[in-house]
Amino acid sequence: MTGHKPLGRRGFLGGLIGAGVAGPLAAGVAASDAASASDSAQPASYPFHGAHQQGILTPVQRNASVVAFDVTAANRDEVQALLRTITERARFLTAGGSPAEVGITAPPADSGLLGPRVPADGLTVTASVGASLFDDRFGLASAKPARLRRMDDFPNDALDRAQCDGDLLLQLCAHNTDAVLHALRDITRATRGAMQVRWRKDGFVSPPRPSGTPRNLLGFKDGTSSPATASAKAADALVWTQAGANGPGANGTGGNGAGANGPGGNAARGDEPEWVTGGSYHVVRIIRMFVEFWDRVSLHEQENMIGRRRDSGAPQTATNEFDDPHYENDPTGDVIQMDAHIRLANPRTPESKNQQMLRRGYNYDAGVDANGNLDMGLIFSCFNQDLDRQFVAVQKRLADEPLVDYVSPVGGGYFFALPGARSSSDWLGRGLLS
Amino acid sequence: MSSVGKFALIWGAIALFAAAALTLQLSIRQLSIRQMPAQQASGQTRVTAGPDNCGEGWTKPSAGIQRFSVKNTSITGMEVYLQNVASKAVYFDIEGFGAGATESARAVLGGGSYRFVCLPADGNAAFGSTVTISGTGAIANLTPGVVPVTRNDLIPAAKAYGDWILSRLPVLIADTHTLNTDVTAGNLDAAKRDWLTAHTEYETLGAAYGAFGDADSEINGMPASGRTAIDDPDLTGFHKIEALLYGGAPAATIAPYTTGLVDAVTRLRNEFPDVRIDPLDIGLRAHEILENALQFELTGRADAGSGSTLATIDANITGTIQALAPLRGILATRYPQIAQTDAWIARSRKLVESFRSPAGTWTPLDGLTRADREKLNATISQTVEELAPVAAICDVRRTS
Repeated sequence: MTGHKPLGRRGFLGGLIGAGVAGPLAAGVAASDAASASDSAQPASYPFHGAHQQGILTPVQRNASVVAFDVTAANRDEVQALLRTITERARFLTAGGSPAEVGITAPPADSGLLGPRVPADGLTVTASVGASLFDDRFGLASAKPARLRRMDDFPNDALDRAQCDGDLLLQLCAHNTDAVLHALRDITRATRGAMQVRWRKDGFVSPPRPSGTPRNLLGFKDGTSSPATASAKAADALVWTQAGANGPGANGTGGNGAGANGPGGNAARGDEPEWVTGGSYHVVRIIRMFVEFWDRVSLHEQENMIGRRRDSGAPQTATNEFDDPHYENDPTGDVIQMDAHIRLANPRTPESKNQQMLRRGYNYDAGVDANGNLDMGLIFSCFNQDLDRQFVAVQKRLADEPLVDYVSPVGGGYFFALPGARSSSDWLGRGLLS
Repeated sequence: MSSVGKFALIWGAIALFAAAALTLQLSIRQLSIRQMPAQQASGQTRVTAGPDNCGEGWTKPSAGIQRFSVKNTSITGMEVYLQNVASKAVYFDIEGFGAGATESARAVLGGGSYRFVCLPADGNAAFGSTVTISGTGAIANLTPGVVPVTRNDLIPAAKAYGDWILSRLPVLIADTHTLNTDVTAGNLDAAKRDWLTAHTEYETLGAAYGAFGDADSEINGMPASGRTAIDDPDLTGFHKIEALLYGGAPAATIAPYTTGLVDAVTRLRNEFPDVRIDPLDIGLRAHEILENALQFELTGRADAGSGSTLATIDANITGTIQALAPLRGILATRYPQIAQTDAWIARSRKLVESFRSPAGTWTPLDGLTRADREKLNATISQTVEELAPVAAICDVRRTS
């Protein structure tokens, strides 16, 4: 049975209200995608092999677990074995099928959570690497993606470093929670000696209430304004990182193919290593929301902080969710405050256009705080061609926005989503490790 | 009661429950034996399993995955194997199979001759006709078959293991005597060293917890829920003494407990020869000792102030090696990953002992860096993954 309602294409743009940065044209394209896709059911499975990993452009599934690991492997060969095992398990789990029959020689090969035959349930397994993997343990320092580093501590952050960073990140998404947990148990069991969970957050995407973009736990539609990535060209410009230089001018002149850049870096052509092509900078931010406090704030103040109507999701200057806010008609912030979240995040200027990022966030609900307040919020997650040009630039602009009193980033990390595994003999991280 | 004591109790309870359930099931099934077979899922081969029709229905074998729907047509409980005729290796075993019940079973088979074996609860084995799968190319993910392990196979292993424990008990008694002597004399620094020696000696015997019964809770019990080792009035043994010694209690307060410990281990030695190591348990011990270490030691729960968690785990690794030793002959032909298992045990030992100083002191658990602790958790966890099949392989099965 399929209890979940199909989400519109827009669902996969679900993320922090915050960092949305779409040009008017992009928003229009996305809106028409949403209308056409909302009628079709969620696919049972997504193909594992390809130039890029799934779980990035893939329409957002309803449930997710975001799990950071520290690698405990003893050497580079064991890291390679680890990534091969992750690939092998992901290949099986995302396709579904019958688990191995081990007879009387061992405990069952499968946990049984999904019954005797494992359904794919729309599972995607997205593997990303963190900066610490490139320290002195495995001799990978020279292969580090150029922008990858320990997550920045932004002015309004309250980071618990125990819940930050990590050598590897797995983003597991599926239509149902049991399929997510089944995948987590399968993969951790197969890799027990080679990595350990460092931190973990489980999330969900709400159904549209009543329509349009799903709401976050502040009650606002979250992810309305996002880049269209339906065209390969748009995704190539904003999501996928390539060897050498990235960004304006990097593509237009001379078809920047792989091999343009030596290991020593080349300022003129950019500095990303060879293997990164087809991957993406993956930012995760665990953003606690002080929901009790928020619920004590008047609607007017809430909407002014966001810049949108809570009911419809429309910009305060417009009528419908996907309407353009037309800041040019409100240049001094009489209607949408100059420090409203959507205005800072996406000023919709020509300069901000290539700062758009692909958001793919999930709400989280994780128990209770020591003061009796509910621990819930947002697993902000986004994919960027260039970490600094996109996420970091936008995040800096959001510093000290009024919303910071109600939300608090406590964890997360910067990662780099590996290029895809292209065939049954390929494996995630092959370009990095072999 | 210690955790491992509880483990044994739980296993016992499960066994009792299973037996009760089977009895109940039998009486119900006998009433409804004539019911029609359940609707079969497509792609399954229907096979009967009774004293006179064992394996009937498997007429079109082919290499690759075999999906069976097996019906116990008899009036008793049954155990049903799929067996390789030549090697006697078994590919699946339907156990606790009630009269009239239908079970599904799967195996991935290559070329060879096979048959069903039906073992009624109250009768002799019945053998099905031989079914031959002719020569095939490579089949992926073949189900590994092993020759079942019988109670008779395990009796010598259980005896050898029991003998080893018996040989260590005098050492343990001597260790606790030394501890008691130093405590009584007020030499509390020496007593701390004595405590560690005695406790790690006891922890090497870990596999014997089930056989020690109540003696274990007296010797090595943990505080009750909501209590600590210091304030639990009913707690005795190593952890009570540990809490007092490391909490700065005067010798006179500690002495009754160290005297009690000597008495308890002496009683254990006197009673142990009458307490057999159950052959059913020996296979379980191989991974349960370290499962327990993972749950109670690596979480820091068992430590009552000595910071000797890693010494305990080191002793538990010794205990695991000892529990595995008498099973090696059985495993040699049945567990291809035994060398890999040994490698992980050795890796665990090396890592744990890297936290022991040349002076013999151990880094407390909370003195480890996060990276070290993760490595420790990973290594012990991988080791129990490797050990888990030992219990499955050494699960006692009937062959006749």
